[in-house]
Amino acid sequence: MHLLPKFDYYEPRDIGEACKLLSQLKGSARIIAGGTDLLVNMKKGLSAPGSLVGIGKIPGISEIEPVNGGISIGAHLIIQKLVEFDLIRKKLSILSRAASVLGSPLVRNRATIGGNIVNARPAADLPPPLIAMGARVRLKSRRQEREVPLDRFFRGPGETAIKPGEVLTHIVIDALPPFTGGDYVKLMHRRSLEIAIVAVASRITLDGPDGVIRDARIILSSVAPKATHAVRAEKALIGERPSERLFEHAGQIAATECTPIDDVRGGAGYRCSMVGVLTKRTLSGALREAKGQ
Amino acid sequence: MKKLITLIVNKKAFEVAVEPNRTLAQVLREDLGFLGTKVGCGIGDCGACTVVVDGRPVNSCLVLAVQANGSEITTIEGISEGAELHPVQEAFVEYGAIQCGFCTSGMILSAKTLLDRNSNPSEPEIRAALSGNLCRCTGYQKIVEAVHAAAGMMKK
Repeated sequence: MHLLPKFDYYEPRDIGEACKLLSQLKGSARIIAGGTDLLVNMKKGLSAPGSLVGIGKIPGISEIEPVNGGISIGAHLIIQKLVEFDLIRKKLSILSRAASVLGSPLVRNRATIGGNIVNARPAADLPPPLIAMGARVRLKSRRQEREVPLDRFFRGPGETAIKPGEVLTHIVIDALPPFTGGDYVKLMHRRSLEIAIVAVASRITLDGPDGVIRDARIILSSVAPKATHAVRAEKALIGERPSERLFEHAGQIAATECTPIDDVRGGAGYRCSMVGVLTKRTLSGALREAKGQ
Repeated sequence: MKKLITLIVNKKAFEVAVEPNRTLAQVLREDLGFLGTKVGCGIGDCGACTVVVDGRPVNSCLVLAVQANGSEITTIEGISEGAELHPVQEAFVEYGAIQCGFCTSGMILSAKTLLDRNSNPSEPEIRAALSGNLCRCTGYQKIVEAVHAAAGMMKK
């Protein structure tokens, strides 16, 4: 049976107290939110923090709130609420779609959006759609509060811009321009409890209902140390009129912009090919949404 | 250091002193005697340890007991009314949805939570709702049929 090693447990009542604890305990403390990754790693002996700081009782970090046309999401919000909440389903359907394929129903009832971000796994489901929609993360420490675009947050597997003593409190997404749509497709061997073989999140903003592409983001996941833009494929779309042929072309370019590894879930060559397929497919989905169809 | 916590299990409050490294599954089984909660993999893959915490089914092997302080918890022991089985339990018996029984508590709690929210789920909805609960006797077909039948029984 898997048993947890010993640790001290703290339960701060607000973010200020949490930051204070983290700075006092230095590197020996880890924040615990849903615990669906951390406790597994601790049970397997991969992680042995001296203290855990539970943030579940802190008010104000488990809500979804509309802010100036955009959305602010508390870091402690459970994944399942991204699937259920009307505001997310309507305004950020790409995010609820990605949330609906994360882990299992039991995991989604416990795991949090903040945890899925700070763990910085290369195949995490929520960073690709969040990056595609221009999300920022709000980080609080004892002395300051700062916002970092998610695009610049990830450094590599398990590595982020978060500094010791900082707590991720909110994910902020500004109002999206009109005629914007997104789509996320995760390629899996099975439908539940699965890590992506390849996943792609695409976002398109059109000039008008039948206009040219003004903004395009293609985020490739599970094919590099962190979720990355298919930069050249994105460039190939800007200023162009959307078409199946254009999306096919973007997919071909994107397939050359990833650096996957061979592992049990799939070979590198297969993954690159699938990047091409999923890029085309998600661009088509994003276009339908951008046109309001 | 042990912490004093309160767990409301099956509508009854229990005060218990626990070490922070003990999971909700351990405390339910070892301290409070709710042995209907099974522990399979211990790492959130199998769902045998499913209990309902504040209305949502979760893997109790991945919840620290201290995190559940103050929560309302339903275990398999809490869904029957005295000697009267819950319709989902009855349907599992009737449809042969129980083989070795190890996954059954979790399956029933996931199914019951689904039916509480959606009284008429489609087959894909049933399969999706149970997709965090593994049955290694591979009796999935009968389990899905039982949940479907339970939905009918609960409407009467």
